[in-house]
Amino acid sequence: MDLDIESGVEAPLSKRWLWPAFLALAIVWVCGGTAALGEARFPPPEFESGHALPLTATPSPRSLAMQHVDVAALVGALGLACYLVHRRRSRRGIIALSLFSLIYFGFYREGCICAIGAVQNVALALCDASYALPMTVLVFFFAPLVVALFAGRTFCAAVCPHGALQDLVLIKPVKVPAWLDHALSVVPFLFLGAGLAFAATGSAFIICRYDPFVPLFRLTGSATLLTLGGLFVLASLFIGRPYCRFLCPYGALLRLAALASKWRVRITPDFCTQCRLCEEACPYGAIREPALTSTTPPVLVPARRRLGRLLLLLPVALFVGGWVGSKLSVPFSKVHPTVALAERYADPNKPTVMPIPATPDSLALGRAERDAPQLVAAAVDIRRRFVLSGWLFGGWTVLVVFAKLIGLSVRPDRTDFEPDRGACVACARCFMACPNERVRLGLLPASAIPTRPGPGLGTGPTAAGTKRD
Amino acid sequence: MRRGDALRPAESSGSNGSRRDFLRRNLQASGLLGAVGALAASGPNVRAARSSAENPFAYDVGKFERTDPKFIHYEETARFKSPRPEPRRLALGPEGALHVAAGDSVVRLGEGGGVDFEIALAGPAQCLGVARDGLLYVALRDHIEVFDARGQRTAVWSSPVSKTWLTGVAVGEDGLFAADSGGRAVLRYDRSGRLLGRIGEQDKERGIPGFVLPSPFLDVELHRDGLLRVNNPGRHRVELYTASGDLELAWGRPTAAIDGFCGCCNPINLATLPDGRCVTCEKGLRRVKVYSALGEFECVVSGAESFAQSVPPGVSMAKAALDAVADARGRIFILDPLAGDIRVMARKREGASS
Amino acid sequence: MTPRSPGEGPVSRRNFLRNGARVAALTGVGAVVGTLVHRTSSQTTVWQIDPLKCLRCGRCATECVLDQSAVKCVHSYDLCGYCELCTGYFVPEPNALNTGAENQLCPTGAIQRKYIEDPYYEYTIDEALCIGCGKCVEGCSRFGNGSLYLQVRQHLCLNCSECAIGRVCPGDAFRRVPVSQPYLLKTSH
Repeated sequence: MDLDIESGVEAPLSKRWLWPAFLALAIVWVCGGTAALGEARFPPPEFESGHALPLTATPSPRSLAMQHVDVAALVGALGLACYLVHRRRSRRGIIALSLFSLIYFGFYREGCICAIGAVQNVALALCDASYALPMTVLVFFFAPLVVALFAGRTFCAAVCPHGALQDLVLIKPVKVPAWLDHALSVVPFLFLGAGLAFAATGSAFIICRYDPFVPLFRLTGSATLLTLGGLFVLASLFIGRPYCRFLCPYGALLRLAALASKWRVRITPDFCTQCRLCEEACPYGAIREPALTSTTPPVLVPARRRLGRLLLLLPVALFVGGWVGSKLSVPFSKVHPTVALAERYADPNKPTVMPIPATPDSLALGRAERDAPQLVAAAVDIRRRFVLSGWLFGGWTVLVVFAKLIGLSVRPDRTDFEPDRGACVACARCFMACPNERVRLGLLPASAIPTRPGPGLGTGPTAAGTKRD
Repeated sequence: MRRGDALRPAESSGSNGSRRDFLRRNLQASGLLGAVGALAASGPNVRAARSSAENPFAYDVGKFERTDPKFIHYEETARFKSPRPEPRRLALGPEGALHVAAGDSVVRLGEGGGVDFEIALAGPAQCLGVARDGLLYVALRDHIEVFDARGQRTAVWSSPVSKTWLTGVAVGEDGLFAADSGGRAVLRYDRSGRLLGRIGEQDKERGIPGFVLPSPFLDVELHRDGLLRVNNPGRHRVELYTASGDLELAWGRPTAAIDGFCGCCNPINLATLPDGRCVTCEKGLRRVKVYSALGEFECVVSGAESFAQSVPPGVSMAKAALDAVADARGRIFILDPLAGDIRVMARKREGASS
Repeated sequence: MTPRSPGEGPVSRRNFLRNGARVAALTGVGAVVGTLVHRTSSQTTVWQIDPLKCLRCGRCATECVLDQSAVKCVHSYDLCGYCELCTGYFVPEPNALNTGAENQLCPTGAIQRKYIEDPYYEYTIDEALCIGCGKCVEGCSRFGNGSLYLQVRQHLCLNCSECAIGRVCPGDAFRRVPVSQPYLLKTSH
């Protein structure tokens, strides 16, 4: 029959197509598979010349094997930093490690992966079960935190490329006035709160978006952020670590962890001579002078009264802050692309005629038109989540400010010059400033400094006591 | 001396002073924060303003999407929804009954627009043709099914070859022509389903260049004059064949301008008017036009501006392909699958336009 | 000033509080890690464009954090019609169907046109030149088969936590895909 003849004619043709098809399949298989979006299975033309179809190249992601290297580098650098700060007490070692971190985590890995941004991934993963958190990100989130709970901010000292960059370019430190330092040190906590709020609602990773240094590491980025990064580097020449102290949200988290750290950075290896040289050496204003407890009640009364007032006011302020935060949820939810689109779609003044040629905006509106019900429902749901995170963020803001005020009202208890556990980034600058350290290293004869003061002079047990354990 | 300083009592040391300072400057600080917050809040608006910026890389065929009104010689007399979702093709029966292939079924519409009968199929109907005696030939992707005038299946023709992708059917008195875009030929059958030959395949001796089909759009129309009209989209033309496969005439040129066929591959579907003029449907710039029997551009039935031009992403071209049929009175039915409706177009009365 | 004896009073109280805080913090971190560990995938995800959602808005060329966008045009050859008049290659109304610069749609001339046989031409993308603007994608999708489309080239992508293009994508076409299947290719299979 005719049909048989037809199929007879077709057979060689289809065989000719078998080979490239097989090749394509093989390549797809070798490449580990690529998700295929099958469309109309219309056959391509038949080439008399036997021209074989090229294959679409699918180069693999570049950072796969690097993930393990990253984790190893992080853990290794953290360990080394702890060793250099607490055992070797070596500023030189810290500088070398900073250089490594700056080159590896900064310029080589281009600021990604980064512990600062990992906070947001963790927040999103906690709030969105469908978000698959990469294991590496989880390690980058908790490893520096756990280390800080024991050994202080050694991550900031020499592992974080952001910190390393600012630390290495600091040439002429200028002291930031205490009031400004205190006021600005609240900002990282607010940034952290905002970052968590936006990440948890799945809206934006603002910590990454406004990171000033990553564009520098990548040597590319938006002009605004490159300028901002340049300004930060410029400021870092004179102000010690402006980003770490006044903006870094992960630094805020590490500061909290370091407050509870088991071991603190000890300036002197022996006893404090109260010479203030370390205070001069610290560019970050992290060294607190001794403040001996006064036992005279009249002096304590106003402070106690203030503390009591603050504690009484706290619940009310928390509620007010939360309420204000929840009211901010409507404007802030616009950061989420879905909400922004839904709002533009619901806008009665939106253009009704699609411009020719279509703009990205009109294309988005066209999409909104097609699936309006789902879009609006999604936007409403996101805004509801924003109300909750607004309450939390508002409360958090008040809490941070009150914690600062309460912290300032609590009487300090120091007998020696000591680094503030939270503020100290373990840069190791103060070690060599201490005459006792120089004596220990044999750079100074023991006779050059006063002998250990007796108990009658009022020095506490801390410095000398903890040294020996 | 320094040591003496260090031993100042607590109440006069930094703590108290800095706290007072802190409280005093708190206003300043919170003002600063407020400003930052205001900036952050205005962020989305800034982005929204920027996002409406034009696309510097726009593919602009806007000037071809507007038709000069003097070319539009047809007006819409009626428009109705397709009786079933996913309409694909149209055909007219001998008494002018409209048949719509939609989804996995074929529907015949009665006089009043109601559904006469519906034929359920195993798969989507790609195209259909109605013989003068009322037999209905429906082509699925790879085979043809025959139904009588009451919608009862009378025969199923087996698939000619594995690659077959039928996209057009024309039924004559003594034969049926099926456009097989997969095989890049028009298959000629007798009415019993016997394959008699293949038309339009490349043949240098007969001067036939062959169909260039980047996509499954090959339509065939049979006119009273006995000539087949077949579109050759890759060559941007319409070819006229005799039933025996001789190429008689070819016309059409590639251009986005109104008198030619736009894009890479057009026209996609054809219809013939009783006097031999040809109705062409295009994709890309979705428009329907009329050419004379010899291929001169005559007029526009529905211009690009009358159809939604942006095909939603993920919607295949086949779901946006216009189809047209013309009845004995010269009316043209246009199916717009994207909108899911059928337009009835009639020639404007004389004097309405030149 | 009365000297205090070591290890007494507020110092030890503070140490006690500190130890408590540390234990609490460790528990908290442990809880977070424990909650998330079973949710983490050893399989990393990477950004990719769903070609069925892409609106060809042109932002891939301008919004990527990289100087040269990691998004490039790819070609699924088995979908291509090998048209002589390729609407992805030629401007809407070309003077002539040749490789003249004035006839080319691509702003960087990144598409190469090669004659195969009458009437077929093959088009390949020079990725070093491609800026991912999607102009050819619009031309191909509008008139042709859509065999040209945009994909994140994974060897270039930095895999940011938040894709800078994705957050302004009007089609919401960016999504994370498992690294073992890093491309969403259109195929005819």
